[in-house]
Amino acid sequence: MLLDQFRDILVDTLKIDRSTITPEATREDIELDSLAVVELSLLLKAEFDLDVSDDELLEAATVADMVALLEKRSATV
Amino acid sequence: MAGIDIAVTGLGLVTPAGVGVEASWASVCGGQSPAALDPTLEGNPVRLSCRVPGFDAENLLDPRRAHRLDRFVQFALVAAREAVADAGLDPRTWDGARVGVVLGCADGGPGTVEQQHQVLREQGPARVSPLLLPKQLPNMLAGQTAIEFHATGPNLVVATACASGATAIGTARDLLALGRCDVVLAGGSEAMITPLVMAGFAQMGALSKREDDPATASRPFDIDRDGFVAGEGAGILVMERVSDARARGARIRGRIIGYGATADAHHITSPHPEGSGVEAAVRAALADAGADPQDVQHVNAHGTSTPLNDLSEARMIHRVLTGDPLVTSTKGVTGHLLGAAGAVEAAFSILSIERETVPPTANLFMPDPRIDIKLAQNLSHLPIDLALSNSCGFGGQNTVLAIAPA
Repeated sequence: MLLDQFRDILVDTLKIDRSTITPEATREDIELDSLAVVELSLLLKAEFDLDVSDDELLEAATVADMVALLEKRSATV
Repeated sequence: MAGIDIAVTGLGLVTPAGVGVEASWASVCGGQSPAALDPTLEGNPVRLSCRVPGFDAENLLDPRRAHRLDRFVQFALVAAREAVADAGLDPRTWDGARVGVVLGCADGGPGTVEQQHQVLREQGPARVSPLLLPKQLPNMLAGQTAIEFHATGPNLVVATACASGATAIGTARDLLALGRCDVVLAGGSEAMITPLVMAGFAQMGALSKREDDPATASRPFDIDRDGFVAGEGAGILVMERVSDARARGARIRGRIIGYGATADAHHITSPHPEGSGVEAAVRAALADAGADPQDVQHVNAHGTSTPLNDLSEARMIHRVLTGDPLVTSTKGVTGHLLGAAGAVEAAFSILSIERETVPPTANLFMPDPRIDIKLAQNLSHLPIDLALSNSCGFGGQNTVLAIAPA
């Protein structure tokens, strides 16, 4: 999954400010708290049929790390 | 709490009559109801509602904040921002520990509950939103307001059904009188126009069925009234002790000088036929204010447009308030804002006193001949030294606020 696609999910559905979403941004930078991470996990399953748990997302330090996790997971589907 | 003088220094409104105090007031004085057939209620036995016009939460708040809030909290935050600005207070510099929040609602966020229940039934529990509870719990009304304004003092939500907003204002008065805090954001908010809730009201026989003429469906005290029209929105007041308000040079818009609260202990939905519970609340509010029944010059009635409420309330007013006050029900325009109604109507009462203007009871074509009170059929102008705002909830809860000029 590309950064652009991931950014669209964050902006369109979770209403996160697009300008804050850079590869280096941390979860705190984009205001992705533990509840929002669960929402994101549900969205990834519903929209892309990707099984990524909230715990796995919480371990990713930055947006780039999350994208890397999602790319790895989609390659194994 | 007689002798404790409580000021209202800020007002904020989001109502079916408009977003903002001035828009709401102009529309209520104009006497035109926005009631209409509601497309979200298609298939319901009654489809009438009074929606807040043009409420765009993403623009009025911000998209991220709006996404995580139920509509009833969105209304409250927009109204509270207006009220705090009106009071000339700056949450960035105030001592948040001395700022309380007391708000009322009847139902919390049923819209969120119904939507997520559908997810549960169709997709299973693993797809239910983690925001279900933070969005719909009634107490989030006060919790989210605290977060928005960094108000870390006493924080609570009261539930007395359709008296909730007024009960919140009365409770805020008590907190200020006891010195528990210095400023309270008090009021009510409600967003319960959902298919399930409205089906429930319809099954109770509480709603007007006048679908052929929506704009005249809410007609308090009229001979042909046949039930209420549900509204939505919020009313928020900034309250302080008068001494504190004067010391900081605030503009005092009105004073809450009395609060009476009682229970009918009679029936789960029907008011006591003689209005004895609300009479006791009126007498308690007047005693609290140190005023006599004949001193009351204006009443913003509960006046829901239901056959039972309006008759028993009018009989009580006739019997108790011997000074022949001018009575209006602003629900003819706004519909019934349920848990927000008491707060919105307290704000309208303050504006009536401040502007010496009583809005008309909209759609009062032919007053019920059994009702012998002085009803405002047109926009009226008169000086007011003492007004009452009445609120009654299912369950038999009654709250009356006594309101005076600055």
